[in-house]
Amino acid sequence: MLVSYLTLGYPNREQFLTLLKGLVDAGSDVLEIGPPPKYAKYDGPVIRRSFKQVSSQGYDMWALLREARDAVSVPIVILTYLEEWIPTLEDFLIKLKDIGINGVLFPDLLIDFIDEYEEYVEAVRTHGLKSVIFTSPSVPDPLIQRASKLSDMFLYYGVRPTTGIAIPITVESLITRVRTLVENKLVVGFGLSDVEDMRRALKAGADGVAIGTAYIEEIERGGVKSAIALARKFRGVLDGS
Amino acid sequence: MEFQEDLVPKYWYNIIPDLPKPLPPPRDPPDSEFSRIELLKRIMPKEVLRQQFTVERFVSIPEKVREAYINIGRPTPLLRARRLEEMLRTPARIYFKFEGATPTGSHKINTAIPQAYFSMEEGVNHLVTETGAGQWGTAVALASRMYGLESSIFMVRVSYEQKPQRRTIMQLYGAKVYSSPTSLTEYGKKLTSQNPDHPGSLGIAMSEAIEYAMTNGYKYLVGSVLDVVVLHQSVIGLETINQLRNLDEEPDVLIGCVGGGSNFGGFVFPFIGAQKGTKYIAVGSFEVPKFSRGTYNYDFPDSAGLLPLIKMITLGKDYVPPPIYSGGLRYHGAAPSLSMLIKEGIVKWREYNEREIFEAAQTFLQAQGIVPAPESSHAIKAVIDEAREARVKNEKKVIVFNLSGHGLLDLPNYESMMKRMS
Repeated sequence: MLVSYLTLGYPNREQFLTLLKGLVDAGSDVLEIGPPPKYAKYDGPVIRRSFKQVSSQGYDMWALLREARDAVSVPIVILTYLEEWIPTLEDFLIKLKDIGINGVLFPDLLIDFIDEYEEYVEAVRTHGLKSVIFTSPSVPDPLIQRASKLSDMFLYYGVRPTTGIAIPITVESLITRVRTLVENKLVVGFGLSDVEDMRRALKAGADGVAIGTAYIEEIERGGVKSAIALARKFRGVLDGS
Repeated sequence: MEFQEDLVPKYWYNIIPDLPKPLPPPRDPPDSEFSRIELLKRIMPKEVLRQQFTVERFVSIPEKVREAYINIGRPTPLLRARRLEEMLRTPARIYFKFEGATPTGSHKINTAIPQAYFSMEEGVNHLVTETGAGQWGTAVALASRMYGLESSIFMVRVSYEQKPQRRTIMQLYGAKVYSSPTSLTEYGKKLTSQNPDHPGSLGIAMSEAIEYAMTNGYKYLVGSVLDVVVLHQSVIGLETINQLRNLDEEPDVLIGCVGGGSNFGGFVFPFIGAQKGTKYIAVGSFEVPKFSRGTYNYDFPDSAGLLPLIKMITLGKDYVPPPIYSGGLRYHGAAPSLSMLIKEGIVKWREYNEREIFEAAQTFLQAQGIVPAPESSHAIKAVIDEAREARVKNEKKVIVFNLSGHGLLDLPNYESMMKRMS
């Protein structure tokens, strides 16, 4: 399973839509879209740069999300921090459902809202949306098991503490450990950005990978086309070539 | 037959997978111009950084590091404080792990050795760190020497002037010791231009050390607070578990003092992991009231804000501690894992004032003959209180504490306390 991440509106409105379609054509099974947050708590410098660029352009988030939804048919999951939406959560979820977004993924759910996370999962589902749960290596075993059962579509496992910074880790042992706990589909991401890391993750039992930072770096280097080509390469690795 | 060295563990213990909740990850602040997490990658030895983020419960101690542990005298003794028990007329049995028996006189060497070893393995030739009271700087100076590496130690100016013996030991080991703030870094220059007689602080020395390592391509060693340091210090608790087993003792109460939390975590966490003991007490200073007054929040571990934010019990990075004699307990925060265990009620805390700890230190040294470091005397005060309670309730419980360092280089402090307290 290839899960591709895009920052909403990056690098600009037009090219964002080109990238979106291109990533689907290249074989993405699910798209994650991240609107620029007020505080990119767990995002590394690359994704933060993309947020900064988009924020300076000032798009209407909802109009652009609607365009994105209309442009492709694969499931779209919104990746955003729960903290930011708590005051208007109900309204937020209704709007997402109304547009036709499939689900949400809150990276801070199990970290900053650990004592009430199940209530939020329930709230998301009540509004007809899928709730994809984000876990990380520091989540204790019993909680990974519980979250895995609760998570819709797949369980997201972020192997590094921040997106896109290659903190040295042992990918295999991190994944082997959760594989034994997770019956759900397991998608690994958050700092998994080269093909070697990706091969190791798949070999250790991941069902899919989530890619974000690598696309943005590629766009910075060679534009949207080059990022789409990278997605094809990742698809190839997933398909075993 | 079991040899002493068999008591030294082959693995360090990591409490992260055994915590009741996910440990909040380090973060960059909202409007950061650069990534502090990226910075860690540039300043820390690679293997140390990998261990900082590992979630494996047991991490193998390289054979050469284990040999170095044995070479400096590990296992350190686990002693029974019989005379103290008699003086307190308590039915409790009191044991202490004596980390003051290492060559540098404190537990700090337990993490300096592996950090220097991994640096050497990675081809690094120069290590940099900061030191306040001097224990950490001494440990880094020795560990660097053991692996043939250069070391530069930024020592807080007041300590540099008031603790010349500590400075001398570091220099004897071959370290370059600088009185911080220095003119070697931009940060130091800025401060000394504002105030040539700046007394310095641990946060300033830390910021200078990081800047100096960065600009020169050296590696920075971290002495407390971070998970990797607590991991290395677990050698204390793991040895103690083995030693108690040989004595056929089951511990009830485990006690340690808390500066940044590494000696406490290193001593107590292996017991928590092995589900041994029923009560864990972290002791801080009344004058630096992080447990009673601190908040559980994301904060910088260093006062210049160069390192990533970590979630911990903290008095705030700009907190200015009073000039108490337990230099090691003046730090504004506590390790994230320990902070969580305190918030969850698994570890209890106490805070004692300087007068109380001075009396406790005197009671202990008159009973056992060992001059404790003022920091460790906080743990002793809690031990005495527990032993007295055991007397009142007539409980034969087993109290074990970590004597994290000796106080033979703190004698000027004791002398000054004697004058003030008499």
